[in-house]
Amino acid sequence: MIHALLLAAATAAPTPAPVYRVVPLACTGDRLAIGGGSVLRLADGVRCLAIVPGRAITVALDADGRATPHPYDRTGEPPSAIPRTAFVLAPAVESDADDATMVTVTIDVTVPARTPPTDDIYVSTERSGWSPTEIRMDRVDARHYRLALRLHRDARVAFRITRGSYATIERDAARALPPAHIADGKPDSHVTVDVAAWADID
Amino acid sequence: MTLSRRSVAAVVALALASLPPAASARATVALDGGTLVFFADTLGIVARDGATLRLPDGTRARADAAFVDLKSDRAVLAGHARIDHGSASASADAIALDLDADRVDLLDAASGATSTTHALRAPVAEAIDGERFAFPEVDDGNAYIRSRHAVITPHASARFVPAAFPTSVGGLPVPSYLYTYATAAGFGATSLAGAAFDQPYGLFGTQNSLTALHARWIDGLGPSVGLQQQLVNGDQSYVAASVDAPLHGSGTRGLNAYDRLGSRYTASLTANDGFGFFSSSAALTAAFGAAGGRVTFGYDTGGYTTFDASLRTPDLPLFWGATWRLQGDVGYDALRGGLLTQLPDARDYSLVWRHGIDAFVATPIVHAPLGVRIGTTFDANRTWYAFPHHNDSFTVSSTASRELSRKIALFAGYAATWYEQIYPGDQGLFFPGTSLPSIAPDGTPWPDHAAYTGATTLRDENLALQLTPDANTSVRVTMHHYDDFPQFHGYGRPQWALLGEARFRPFPNIGIDVGREYDFGWGGYTWQPRWTFAVMP
Repeated sequence: MIHALLLAAATAAPTPAPVYRVVPLACTGDRLAIGGGSVLRLADGVRCLAIVPGRAITVALDADGRATPHPYDRTGEPPSAIPRTAFVLAPAVESDADDATMVTVTIDVTVPARTPPTDDIYVSTERSGWSPTEIRMDRVDARHYRLALRLHRDARVAFRITRGSYATIERDAARALPPAHIADGKPDSHVTVDVAAWADID
Repeated sequence: MTLSRRSVAAVVALALASLPPAASARATVALDGGTLVFFADTLGIVARDGATLRLPDGTRARADAAFVDLKSDRAVLAGHARIDHGSASASADAIALDLDADRVDLLDAASGATSTTHALRAPVAEAIDGERFAFPEVDDGNAYIRSRHAVITPHASARFVPAAFPTSVGGLPVPSYLYTYATAAGFGATSLAGAAFDQPYGLFGTQNSLTALHARWIDGLGPSVGLQQQLVNGDQSYVAASVDAPLHGSGTRGLNAYDRLGSRYTASLTANDGFGFFSSSAALTAAFGAAGGRVTFGYDTGGYTTFDASLRTPDLPLFWGATWRLQGDVGYDALRGGLLTQLPDARDYSLVWRHGIDAFVATPIVHAPLGVRIGTTFDANRTWYAFPHHNDSFTVSSTASRELSRKIALFAGYAATWYEQIYPGDQGLFFPGTSLPSIAPDGTPWPDHAAYTGATTLRDENLALQLTPDANTSVRVTMHHYDDFPQFHGYGRPQWALLGEARFRPFPNIGIDVGREYDFGWGGYTWQPRWTFAVMP
């Protein structure tokens, strides 16, 4: 039903190109508020009936910047690509995040020289209840390890480094437990961790 | 009685094993919706088909849909949004509000944004803040948890009632499920013994505590159910106490505590009780710049106690980027009935003091020709005992690596340790050679065993190939050649071993790490299983 309404609206509207992915916050009269607080004006003849707040859709803009909704299309442009002139109301502080995308975050770890050479190095995160063997890292050389994590854009994962058990968790230079490291879901971001010491090796 | 306990443990273990992972919390913010979907990596909850949010200060908001960002403790209510606080109320096309701060933003698609407080005092016109009205574009099919009601403890956890796990293979719906996202160090602490598989399921929790059941598989004992209580004060201190009840075998109890005493010192305590045996260990560490020290004391009901106090220098520059470090220690070992049982007057040696020194040298990572990188360490140690006795050890370890591409890497390693126990004038007493051949584990006579008089050699030459075709997959094959003494037909390490390890993610929420070792017929055995298994969002 919703799709039918959207398609009917699309048929009545001018040629839609390009299209943008948006999350409607509200639709009132000819105004469509979208995630990020911007407000678009709907094209003539388009009604709000098929728009569900919180459900992502795609919109096409006509030559006047008026929006025509379409069913969600993952290949659409992110909302940050919408021309600013199309907004009736635009935020002063704009979010440029495309939160539908997956990003790769690389964690690079340097271990102390006293690390036993045959031990594996693990990343332990809150997601597994801090399992000390959650994800085994890939070795780079005698003292460097790497792990590529696939995360949602703007995800936030707290992690610590272990050698496979809580008794072998990392310690800081003062031999105290350091705060968790944070991997933020920013595209191609790197988190570097320099392990000062291990809990079981002084 | 025992049968009953085991039966209960079996039922609980089976029930828990079919569930995905969990965590814990105490209610402060309540979110209801026709549908709630929770995404673990972004820590976001989306409520659809009518959303209601209730804050502990009496603020109540509702809308067609809502998004709660647990990372920033912020909510966005979208479509026919209304907020009430006491007798005051306000409506807007969308409302953004802080869960643990006193700010509310109202968005009117016709006129723009205004800002007010939870008490809805006179709204003030403001520029629209895009970050505050961000509502994520999510695919409900990828949600970790689907629910209808969530109780959120900011910065700690969210309890979902009920909870289904649409992306968890074999994950059964449960009436209530607690997900903890607090990051304090103590929440990772455990007093449970190591297990091949350990999956926690939060029962109760706050920002400072967590009570969790653990579904476990212990090598040699099989399935087990653990119960652990954690009390946590940020990264500053924690106490973890646990009871572990295997289906087959005796239960064990554990305690693990830690406290950071200012910027220089830490104190820790571990204790374990099980199989009729109690052991404990206490440690105090100190840091003076990059130098430091440690004092440890251990005790068990077998009559053994140990004490050690050590001081270490910082890692100091040597030359060409190499570093060196010295460590000295003094302490004692004590055993009821005597430590040196070979002596007729062993009881006179129930406590033996010792002191030792350790020198450690590490090279930097050296860039050799052909893109090879080499790192090497040397460690020499001597320990003297109050009885005429000293131990010497020397270890050298070197690893060479070469990245053939971003996805393929080769490693070659060499590690050797020479260790000797020396009893001047009494070597024959402590290591009596014999003309009779010893028997190796596979039954083969072993005449050369008589040559072992306290000196041990351990040598490991290894080659490894590592493939990482994508972020979720890693395969490593390692060949070891162990050339040790003593080493014979199943005694000691196998001469040749091939180890294969693979890490992969067959389903979005299942990570698997498996490994197998083939020992080329060492003492009658070949395959050595090794595996870990983790379920994660």
